[in-house]
Amino acid sequence: MFKKFEEKDSISSIQQLKSSVQKGIRAKLLEAYPKLETHIDLILPKKDSYRIAKCHDHIELLLNGGGEQVFFRHRDGPWMPTLRLLHKFPYFVTMQQVDKGAIRFVLSGANVMCPGLTSPGACMTPAEKGTVVAIMAEGKEHALAIGLLTLSTEDILKVNKGIGIETYHFLNDGLWKSKPVK
Amino acid sequence: MHATKEPAINKTNTGECLGLVEVTYPIAVKYCGHCSMPIEYCEFYSEYDKCKEWLAKNYPEDYEKLQLREAEDDAASSVDAEKKRQKRGGKGLLRIKKDNSDDDAPKRIRLSCTMRGKNKRVTIVAGLGAFKIDLRAAAKFFGNKFACGSSVTGDNEIVIQGDVKDELFKVIPDKWLEVPKEAIEDCGEGKRGQQN
Repeated sequence: MFKKFEEKDSISSIQQLKSSVQKGIRAKLLEAYPKLETHIDLILPKKDSYRIAKCHDHIELLLNGGGEQVFFRHRDGPWMPTLRLLHKFPYFVTMQQVDKGAIRFVLSGANVMCPGLTSPGACMTPAEKGTVVAIMAEGKEHALAIGLLTLSTEDILKVNKGIGIETYHFLNDGLWKSKPVK
Repeated sequence: MHATKEPAINKTNTGECLGLVEVTYPIAVKYCGHCSMPIEYCEFYSEYDKCKEWLAKNYPEDYEKLQLREAEDDAASSVDAEKKRQKRGGKGLLRIKKDNSDDDAPKRIRLSCTMRGKNKRVTIVAGLGAFKIDLRAAAKFFGNKFACGSSVTGDNEIVIQGDVKDELFKVIPDKWLEVPKEAIEDCGEGKRGQQN
């Protein structure tokens, strides 16, 4: 999604959020990521005013007070954390681990195929279809991508073919490279 | 790192299967200065050698660990070839985009003056961006300094109202020490948008 994203060209407008909308987003985030509750004040302090950057292709970025991108979403989809945020607080998103061979493909933006999640070296956490997942890798400590399950983990085991996780945001893509917005 | 045969299922999602230990948040991740990814992913970058150089310079400890690990890997792979693992086709390597901002190109700041209307003059400052100067802050500064209007008019261009070209030759190097005096160029009665 962010493969061709470029900070300069892709952001069309930045808006200050109304406090009621802010509250709404916070509540939504907590609902989607209950584990976030302990640290949400670190990520999005209550007093801060956040901004939303509207981008091309119906992408919205949530910016915190410092202008850092913390969450993004596509149309009305779920809010997903950016990788920089996820590296700081890796625990709140369900993790799926792919094997070593898949890393380079994911890093160039490919979706994760089922065999990459079921082969030795991979490791799955049971989750439903449509869950936001952090893609980890065999032998690595940090997440390398963020995506959405297109099948439930059970089905992935059963089918073992085709796309398992749709990759949305990966290391060194446009969003990763973009700097904090002032 | 862990030796499960069949698809392992991690029931708790505490990161156990990844061998994480208790930590305090936020976690400080070490990012490579060359490829900007966490240093453990450098090996998947097409300019891995440069990443290594950077690592050796900035985190010598991690560099040593890496070399140890590589030696181990080499030994392991030669003993038992990875038969069980599936192979994938394709290249799947990251292509590097060429940076447009050439570091070798001489950085220049061009000053010029034009008429606005019949009797008003404006000064155009082009090229500040090449020095990684924040254009908006710079425009604000010029406005304050010369008590006049000043605005960012485009990529790499600031327009200051009034003829302040002569002052700028002194003000710019004083304010931004990284700008050498020789880099500032007088373009005379230039036209707007003539920046490149």
